Amino acid sequence: MRRGGDFLTEADVAVAQHQGTGGESRGPLGPLARLMAGVHRVTVVFGMIALLVAAAILTYSVFSRYFFKAATDWQDEAAVFCIVGAVFLSGAYVQSCRGHIGIEAIASILPPAVNRARAFIVDVLSFFFCSFFAWKSWTLWYEAWVDKMTSSSSWAPPLAIPYGLMSVGMSLLALQLLLQLASHFVSGGRQR
Amino acid sequence: MSMLALGLLFGGVTLLVMFSGMPIAFSLGFVAIGFMYFFMPGSSLDTVTQNVYEEMASITLLSIPLFILKGAAIGKSDAGKDLYSAMHAWMQRIPGGLGIANVFTCALFAAMAGSSPATCSAIGSAGIPEMRKRGYSPGFAAGIIAAGGTLGILLPPSITMILYAVAAEQSLGRLFLAGIGPGLLLVALFSLYAAFRFRKEYRAAHAAYEQHGKRSAYLDEQIFTLRQKVEMLPRVLPFVILLIGVMVALYGGFATPSETAGLGAVLALVLIAVVYGIWRPRDLQPILLSTLRESTMLMFIIGMSLLFSYVMSYLRISQSAAEWIVALHLSKWVLLAMVLLFVMVLGFFLPPVSIILMTVPIILPPLKVAGFDLVWFGIVMTIVMEMGLIHPPVGLNIFVIKNIAPDIPLADVVWGVLPFVGLMFIAIFMICAFPGIATFFPDIVMGPGR
Repeated sequence: MRRGGDFLTEADVAVAQHQGTGGESRGPLGPLARLMAGVHRVTVVFGMIALLVAAAILTYSVFSRYFFKAATDWQDEAAVFCIVGAVFLSGAYVQSCRGHIGIEAIASILPPAVNRARAFIVDVLSFFFCSFFAWKSWTLWYEAWVDKMTSSSSWAPPLAIPYGLMSVGMSLLALQLLLQLASHFVSGGRQR
Repeated sequence: MSMLALGLLFGGVTLLVMFSGMPIAFSLGFVAIGFMYFFMPGSSLDTVTQNVYEEMASITLLSIPLFILKGAAIGKSDAGKDLYSAMHAWMQRIPGGLGIANVFTCALFAAMAGSSPATCSAIGSAGIPEMRKRGYSPGFAAGIIAAGGTLGILLPPSITMILYAVAAEQSLGRLFLAGIGPGLLLVALFSLYAAFRFRKEYRAAHAAYEQHGKRSAYLDEQIFTLRQKVEMLPRVLPFVILLIGVMVALYGGFATPSETAGLGAVLALVLIAVVYGIWRPRDLQPILLSTLRESTMLMFIIGMSLLFSYVMSYLRISQSAAEWIVALHLSKWVLLAMVLLFVMVLGFFLPPVSIILMTVPIILPPLKVAGFDLVWFGIVMTIVMEMGLIHPPVGLNIFVIKNIAPDIPLADVVWGVLPFVGLMFIAIFMICAFPGIATFFPDIVMGPGR
């Protein structure tokens, strides 16, 4: 069973760095896997920068209010956009390392053949869920874009920005799951 | 379909999907969407993503990644080892001082890093070898670190409490403060046990020496000069100042909890750059990458848990379950015991994040009717979830200890940890008998609660 940890060890990071998109980088899925690995590198760098920017914005918020008595109407929302973007865009990367934790108590007691079937079904269901979510995210983004929807704050930034980041992130996640799903057929078993 | 049948179906399907091994985040979302499709108006499916976004886009929830960043920055520097060395040197004269130093270091580090396993890993890698070198039995050494690490989700700023504050609609400031008293109580209980156990093992070592002439490392005394002790302070003080500074910023009214998270992360990064020279992009990459992975995993679970709770509430499953519990007319303390047992069993399988978001809508209304203070309950629930981190079969901290000290047999670690589980039970009884242990600090700082 994999427990929900609230930290990652050096080993986890090393695994994540070396694992790339799992074991799909060889065989007929190679080009797609390498493309996804490239996308992950971009989204992860974006996510890292977005986290730092969010921390900097909130720090600026404290100082600007305390020292310059300036209004802090945009900082919270800007930080939310950065973090929402970082989280959704790196969802696919985390999935590539199988970093979304689940209860795997049953996996250890099932016979290997049954366990392979279980892993396949789990990936299929995960793919359908993420695809549905991605589809609905794009619909939401489209409405926000066409209707020029903004948030209700005085800063009123366009909501198409966070909705767009959510849509791209969930689509990449669905694509990553599709790649991992395909690897069941190519390599005859789940790559981990 | 009757409410009972719907509730049982909902619970059964959730368990089935979760135990299939599907990632927790996806399973919660999958079950929610499935029940929306079959039992809610068709239009509800169109607002799924908007619901998730609106629930997630709370600056309080989104401060979690920044608290994780602060913890990762401190956890990946040598701050833990330096803090440990300083505590060890300054507490050498107290009987059992080494064990107590480990407990204190775990508490301080946990308060800075906000993560239980990270505390175990950082302090244990220095503390366990040192304790064993000084003659402590391996199980005892492992138990101190595993239990000390659990203070991470009790002492502020705790991610678990941020979630509880959001789910239970309680003041985060009060919850953070309410964790301090019980945190100090646990530190005191763990330290007393460490001193008691030290005396027992010391006597046994002494008796063995007198009988067989075999000298244990227990009997050797290690002396630090005042100069040595003072020299250790410059590396530690900045982090203690960070800890105090963040609390002052929060409670002095200078910063909101989310701003405190951003400020804490920036200050932690500045400190590791100045004190340990960790500032190059390649040094920062592992810190940011681990923060991103953990934050993404957690925020996905949080977002989907909120959708899951929304569906449970729309279908009136959570309200009906709560009403059913109220209608049982259980006595106040039996109700509390049942709820805590339920949380403890869930702790065998689920991380605290999911336990809080999935159960709070069901368990809080009956507790409120029974007259419990919900801030106080948040603390008791957190301690129970802390126990889940160290009690068999799947305590996460036990596995962290096995990682850093692989030569200690698992049985020794488990036996070493069990007395600390008992101490946590004692702490829970004490907090039930004297609620002021939790409510004293928030009442003093923020005035009496509602």
